[in-house]
Amino acid sequence: MDVTGLLLRAGATRPHVMIAAMPGATAVRLTAEEQLRRRGWPAALTPADADVLVVAGTAAPDIAQAVEAAWAAVPAPRVRVRATRPDDVAAALDAAQAGLASAADQRRSAATRDPGSHRGHDPGRHEAMSGGHHGHDMGGMAMPAGLPMAGRAEDRDGLKLDQLHVALGPFLPDWPAGLVARLILQGDVVQHAEADAVGLMADAVSFWAEPWRRAAAGEQVTTGTAARRRAAAHLDSLARFLGVAGWADAATAARALRDDTLRGTPASRLGPAVRRFAARVARSRLLAWSTRGMGTLRPDDSAAARAAAAAGGQPPLPAGDVTARYRRWCADLAGLAGLLDDDSLLDSSLLDRSVLDRSVLDRSVLDRSVLAPPRDRGGAGQAPSAVLLAVLPRLLEGAEFAAARLIVASLDPDLDELPARAGTGHGR
Amino acid sequence: MTNVVFWILAPLAAASGFMVFVFNSMARATIALLVSFLASGGLLIWLGLAYLGTVVILMMIMEMVIMAVFMIAYMMNPAGLTQMSMYHNKRGSLAIGTATFVLLAAGIFAAPWPHRAGRAPRDPTFQLGTALMGPQMLTMIVLGVTLFATMVAAVVLATHRGRYDRFGDDLKRRPPADPVRGGVDG
Amino acid sequence: MVGSAPLWAVLAVPAVLAVFALTAATADAVLAARAAGQRVTWTVLAAPLAEVPRLLAAQRRTTPAPDALLWRLGLAAIPAAGVLSAVVIPFGHVTVSRMSVGVVWFNAMEVLTWAGVWMAGWGPNSVLSLVGGYRFVAQGLAYELPLMFALICAATGAQSLNAADIAAAQGHLWFAVWMPAAFAVYLVSVYAFSFLGPFAYPAGRDLAGGVAAELSGPDRLMLEAGRWLLLTSGAGMAVPLFLGGGAGPALPPWAWSAVKTLAVLGLLVWGRRRLPVIRADRYAELAWVVLIPLMIAQALAVALVVLTMGGPP
Repeated sequence: MDVTGLLLRAGATRPHVMIAAMPGATAVRLTAEEQLRRRGWPAALTPADADVLVVAGTAAPDIAQAVEAAWAAVPAPRVRVRATRPDDVAAALDAAQAGLASAADQRRSAATRDPGSHRGHDPGRHEAMSGGHHGHDMGGMAMPAGLPMAGRAEDRDGLKLDQLHVALGPFLPDWPAGLVARLILQGDVVQHAEADAVGLMADAVSFWAEPWRRAAAGEQVTTGTAARRRAAAHLDSLARFLGVAGWADAATAARALRDDTLRGTPASRLGPAVRRFAARVARSRLLAWSTRGMGTLRPDDSAAARAAAAAGGQPPLPAGDVTARYRRWCADLAGLAGLLDDDSLLDSSLLDRSVLDRSVLDRSVLDRSVLAPPRDRGGAGQAPSAVLLAVLPRLLEGAEFAAARLIVASLDPDLDELPARAGTGHGR
Repeated sequence: MTNVVFWILAPLAAASGFMVFVFNSMARATIALLVSFLASGGLLIWLGLAYLGTVVILMMIMEMVIMAVFMIAYMMNPAGLTQMSMYHNKRGSLAIGTATFVLLAAGIFAAPWPHRAGRAPRDPTFQLGTALMGPQMLTMIVLGVTLFATMVAAVVLATHRGRYDRFGDDLKRRPPADPVRGGVDG
Repeated sequence: MVGSAPLWAVLAVPAVLAVFALTAATADAVLAARAAGQRVTWTVLAAPLAEVPRLLAAQRRTTPAPDALLWRLGLAAIPAAGVLSAVVIPFGHVTVSRMSVGVVWFNAMEVLTWAGVWMAGWGPNSVLSLVGGYRFVAQGLAYELPLMFALICAATGAQSLNAADIAAAQGHLWFAVWMPAAFAVYLVSVYAFSFLGPFAYPAGRDLAGGVAAELSGPDRLMLEAGRWLLLTSGAGMAVPLFLGGGAGPALPPWAWSAVKTLAVLGLLVWGRRRLPVIRADRYAELAWVVLIPLMIAQALAVALVVLTMGGPP
């Protein structure tokens, strides 16, 4: 009796899958998440729990190292598959399941594995750096595993604690694809943060702003299409935020609604469901109690962010905390729920920033602003996500780890909107 | 049968107590101390003092975990990554320790312990409770309130942020100015 | 009235506990499938069982410079806490240990999770695991005292620390009816010490699994099994403490114990996915400033009732 084969086949009935989402591959990620949901395969939170690593999209050179680190951290039996287009996902997952169940494949891949590579890495890379001159003579001591001691600095209570240099991302669960936040942690309190984008492709376009891009290029785009895309964007952001907040059922419901919205389910069924979901999340007192007072954007933040993002005439980011931001998504969803099957053509004036600036202030035209591209204001010109990235470090400083995750999830920048820098990859 | 329990737990308690000073790592030293306390609690249970033994186990686990947090925060070598020695005055302390142990052991073996008069109570916990709470009720009440007041006073004296820092000079600011917002009127 | 069990029953405790825990995990899998819009098939029902061969066949991981002794010891302590805390739970008319201080023993064994989870977080020398381990200690400081007071309420109501005596004292009225605050706090604390559901903060999704972030293979199986065993043990203890034990018409006592345990487990599993995670930095102040005075007042009420009526109502 081949016990190994039996165990492998039993374990392959329901593999845990980790999706490494590349920037520019939002459609692939959405398809992969939908496939996992339909098959009932759980999404792995960490490479240690994963059997299958799905690389969604094309890996640019500066993100390839992170992919290799994540792959090295996945324990055997394991399979890595790549999907560059949404249509490839189903076949890739089937091939992965077959590869997991096959003892011969697993023995072959184990034979070719680098022996030191089963050591663990965080989903974000962890580097401990020595803090400079502290009067210790480190030269004569044998450091374990060759790692230097951490440096120390004062913390918010006046104690001297170790400083840990941790990079969060790019493949954390419920994390914007391609975002890397380099943190200096003391305990779990963020002392200093820098937000960076990796893996950007030169020709990447934002999936969520597609209808407005097509309308700006002169195509006839219906209001219903734009409303569906924006609703799906908010549902995706909410799904990630609710995942970070630990509300499992609501996150799953958001993903299911997002898939239905993109798939074209008629508005007669979908509209009330979206409205009900948005109302349920908005009125949850436990979630509001848990998140209020966190990550508060002040009115002068947008001025600083404007300067940092080198843009002119940017409309202000709305002031408020994490609670206000997710409630705004819910309010937008309630407004969009009635427009999902609207056949009228998208009003091109919605692309005019001056109209949008006015509409923020004039509540009588608030319902028109829901038809603007997601992530607030400005389809043309400077990317709003650049503003969000610029404002992120100040918000993260002083926050505890959970608060930092909630703040990033409530802002949910879409890195596909950012222009690629020199040295990144080119897609096919 | 019952002696087996003693000969397992008693050397374990002594050995893990000694290991506290042998380990380089603060975390391991604290856990070794915890194991020693657990063995002592087990010995108390074995002696028939079920309540005392269980409470020792309960309290010591909580206290050792909290102590581990503080040892690791304040001591220089928390993970045992380098060599560390916790011995001071090795010869002197060894001599004093051995002499104390010999004296106590001699005293224990030489003392004329009385034979049991009467039978063991059916419920030792109840008897313990009655003995403490019956004639000594006032003492227990005063002790309890004094302990509580001491703990509260110690925390109030130790913290460098008081009511006026949190609520402002007129004590009217809501929510209070805390580094991390709490869950009540926050 | 309640007899001590023969020696083979010591082995029956982990077996029975495992069966109930598996039932709870299966119910959770069914609820997750329904929420995801997936049809409930045999694969869904077998999902928790299918985890066992998957984890047994998985390779064990290690990290640079771990504290292996504390890591393995901590991981072993978590399921041990679940099993040891269950030996004082009377099942019908049978209990493995007739300890006169059963309630205190239950409390002591669930506190073992403090040491276990902290060590499991410390061991791997990894940021996410360490934060998860410390998160459990913060959560522990918040939930432990209200839980202790809730247990004291039940013991005061029956004037005994023995779980079987407490069950027997509920002949006329369940404790859950006339000390509802204690019952509610107890159920909340069951979530907290098994770090599931709204108190999954130490193993949270935002921490990529927290204490479970670096675990694979048999280590992960021990942690996950330990959480479900703790939940089951807590649900099982709720029955003699607040729901009358094995008392009830028609069915034999062991059947009533089983039915009531499954009911409490069902409630806990249902509530698990429907609430967002409650973080210790918000919960700690609430627990100390609101819940502890509430539980002290509840204990006072129970004591007054027992004194004036000469016993439980």
